[in-house]
Amino acid sequence: MEIREDLAPVRRRAVILLLVAFLALGALHMRVAQLQLVAGDHWRRMAENNRLRRLPLSAVRGTIYDRRGRILADNRPTWNLLLFPDEAHNLDRTLLFVANLGVSDAATLHDRVRRRGVDRLAPMLIADDLSWVQVARVRAHQSDHPELSVVAGFRRHYPFAAATAHAVGHLRLVSEDELAAEPELDPDARVGATGIEALTDDFLRGDAGERWVVVSALGRQLGVVRERPAVSGKDLAVTLDAELQQVAAAALGDRAGAVAAIEPRTGAVRILYSAPSFDPELFTGRLSPVAWAELVDDPRHPLQDRSLQGTYPPGSTIKPFFALAGLSDHLVTPRTTVTCTGSLTLYGHRFRCWRRGGHGRVDMLQSIEASCDVYYYQLGQKLGIEGMARWLARFGFGRRSGIGLPSEASGLIGTPEWSRRVRGTPWYPGEAVSVSIGQGPVLATALQLARAYAALANGGRLVTPHLVVGAEDAPVIDLGIDPADLEVVTHGLELVVHGNHGTARSLGRLPVAGKTGTAQVVRLADGVDSSDLDANLQHHAWFVGWAPIDDPRLVVALIVEHGGGGGSVAAPTAGAIFEAALSSDRSVPGGAG
Amino acid sequence: MILAVVGILGASLVTQHAVSEVVGTQLLARQLLWSCAGVLVLLGLSRVRLDLYAQIAPAVYGLALIALVAVLFVGEARAGTRGWFAVGPLTLQPSEFARVATILMVAAWLGRRSGARLSLREATVTAGLVALSAVLVAAEPDLGVTLTYLPVGAAALWLGGVPRWAWIVMIVVALVAGAAAWHSVLKPFQKERVLTLLDPERDPYGAGYQVRQSKIAVGSGGVVGQGVGRGSQSLLRYLPAQHTDFAFAVWAEATGFVGATGLMLAYALLLYRIGMAAAVAENRLGLVLAILVGSWLAFQVVVNLGMVLGLLPTTGITLPLFSYGGSSLLSTCAALGIVQSVWRHRLVNQ
Repeated sequence: MEIREDLAPVRRRAVILLLVAFLALGALHMRVAQLQLVAGDHWRRMAENNRLRRLPLSAVRGTIYDRRGRILADNRPTWNLLLFPDEAHNLDRTLLFVANLGVSDAATLHDRVRRRGVDRLAPMLIADDLSWVQVARVRAHQSDHPELSVVAGFRRHYPFAAATAHAVGHLRLVSEDELAAEPELDPDARVGATGIEALTDDFLRGDAGERWVVVSALGRQLGVVRERPAVSGKDLAVTLDAELQQVAAAALGDRAGAVAAIEPRTGAVRILYSAPSFDPELFTGRLSPVAWAELVDDPRHPLQDRSLQGTYPPGSTIKPFFALAGLSDHLVTPRTTVTCTGSLTLYGHRFRCWRRGGHGRVDMLQSIEASCDVYYYQLGQKLGIEGMARWLARFGFGRRSGIGLPSEASGLIGTPEWSRRVRGTPWYPGEAVSVSIGQGPVLATALQLARAYAALANGGRLVTPHLVVGAEDAPVIDLGIDPADLEVVTHGLELVVHGNHGTARSLGRLPVAGKTGTAQVVRLADGVDSSDLDANLQHHAWFVGWAPIDDPRLVVALIVEHGGGGGSVAAPTAGAIFEAALSSDRSVPGGAG
Repeated sequence: MILAVVGILGASLVTQHAVSEVVGTQLLARQLLWSCAGVLVLLGLSRVRLDLYAQIAPAVYGLALIALVAVLFVGEARAGTRGWFAVGPLTLQPSEFARVATILMVAAWLGRRSGARLSLREATVTAGLVALSAVLVAAEPDLGVTLTYLPVGAAALWLGGVPRWAWIVMIVVALVAGAAAWHSVLKPFQKERVLTLLDPERDPYGAGYQVRQSKIAVGSGGVVGQGVGRGSQSLLRYLPAQHTDFAFAVWAEATGFVGATGLMLAYALLLYRIGMAAAVAENRLGLVLAILVGSWLAFQVVVNLGMVLGLLPTTGITLPLFSYGGSSLLSTCAALGIVQSVWRHRLVNQ
């Protein structure tokens, strides 16, 4: 009995301990229940995710051909490095290894992995376009890094490089927004960013496939569960002429400017070139921040597509349209003359003609041939700003051409309404005078001018410029111009090149008709000559024309930024292009298509 | 009790069989061997008289200490610890046996005391007996086993009777030591293990990997499990340490809630039987013995299951009788045999 009582406190304590133990077991049992019964589905799903892995199968991007089957963009096979981040035992070591290959630095790689997120169990492209040495090194250390895998891939290749950089465009990685909208997308996929690559991206891209594999924790693929093969992108033929693009590039050389050339009957775009250009292959891999900064900070803005985005005052190239307007509206006849003394005073201001001494007496043909400003000051007054705006709009100015590229600018036709609504200041009557010679609040792109002149060349039909063949998207609008009126204007344009006083006489050897233009960047004060200006304040030089004269097959609009004179600078440059176009036409039996 | 033991052992064998496919060695055969040996040991030790235990306790304890010291010098180094004796094809882990020896020793010591509370000297001696073994084990270093000395020491002091203020002091000291350890002693990977508990998705492929895989395995067992040998997580090697630390997860995945509950009931039964033995013990020695064994086993079960279920940080503590390991199995059976002896001699020690 004594012994028992002695034990009483001890027994009590023992009971407490046992109770605690049972309570703990009970709590654990509840946890088991929670995991298995309450959240069983969730964990089962996680188990599935553990097991099945989805590997994206990339689709081969379609090849882009020019009108004669030359390759503008295709794919070059490369060796790429795939990383399965969740299989790396020590991610730091893995990334250090990759960095030591010479791919990038460890910090950048870490950043890339982090931004990817680890939840995505898909592999990620950690490096592309490996050299043989790098591939060998990875394979040699394969057993140390089963989470790395060398796979074959493709890299976009642009054989004509800078000559077609803007028109053909380049690719970029899919954006975060696109991934959020379509989680099935391969985050390493590239889509078109600019140019034709962007315009026809859906067509070129194909469909990525997928392969579901069963994977063990060691990363070993135990089998393919199901597979949907990738669908290759479709090849595309565009209307561009690669050879002519190169000619345009050579013709412009180091100068900044743009060339837009279309087929006047159909609107097929043969040349769309912008200078200065850049090497699109910079964008096929990973663009280093330094290289990107160089492109963006370059004061000459090589990334800007001047053929589509560059808006300039058309200068004298606009005159034929007003001439046509004047004839059509019966405000003038071909024989109506104006006396040009070198200037005209309107609204108390002296508006000068480019020719100091004036042109003397000029009729319509002569006004086009010699590009007399005074004639058009007067004609402009007769048409009025509304009339001029209306006619310009008819020829496609002031709006996009319908080529479909999103970066295209609309240009500008300034009117009093525009001045009030957009500019917010009143319209000055003197501005209409400027507009009548293509200066002041009127802006056009090279493509717009090419399109407008195509209408002059093909008998008054406004075509829709297009890069991809598909008649339903490229409507042709008949402007309903009187052929007789058109004949006068086109004759004038012929005289510009072949007449004795033509401003583009330098092209006389070629069967070209067209118009020069000189767009002022700054207004010249009295007594100041254009040759006194700084290089970057020089006028822009235009030439727009077509060849051959009787059977127009190519309309070219060319601008040389700060080039100086249209006749002296732009025309000869365009001449090189016409020459090449004509000779290549002749070499093909049956003519160009 | 035997029922419970056999039940657990049976489940263990089933699991080990399934696991051996994955882990690669012939676990089943060895575990079977150890199991049979264990049952024999259990039965054998249960027949030994309680007072005999009390007499040989110091000798056994001394032997254990010697073994612990010896292993530090001549033991095999494996995975960073030096805690094994290689005897032919078998390996012996003295730290496991030392635990039983320590329990015997402490129980013998306390058994001779009387009174409701321990004096300071008595308490110190008690703690010292435990600490001595623990420190030697920690020197190997084997932190998992060292940790299991904690319940033994704590239960011993608790049973002996230590004033409340002393407990408060000890808890405070423990907290302070814990904080100090966090800052200076614990290695980063150990800290990660603790932090992962609070935020499981923190490092899903590093420290959180085991816990995550374990929860997936357990959870995907559902109600009836995926079938023995067919559990996807185990089969595909996603689950680490399948035959030891995470053996319960394999079982839970294979047999589902039904199986898991069954196993836990078996452990509960075991604990109940130990409690019964303590209840009918007529002297301090028996009572303390039973309770110390029970505390140790309960602690180990709770900590291991807690780890497998993602409630406690991973510690390297295995599930007694279930996880693979000969020394652990034998020493557990030995301890249970002693407890059984307490039970059997309840009518003798009047």
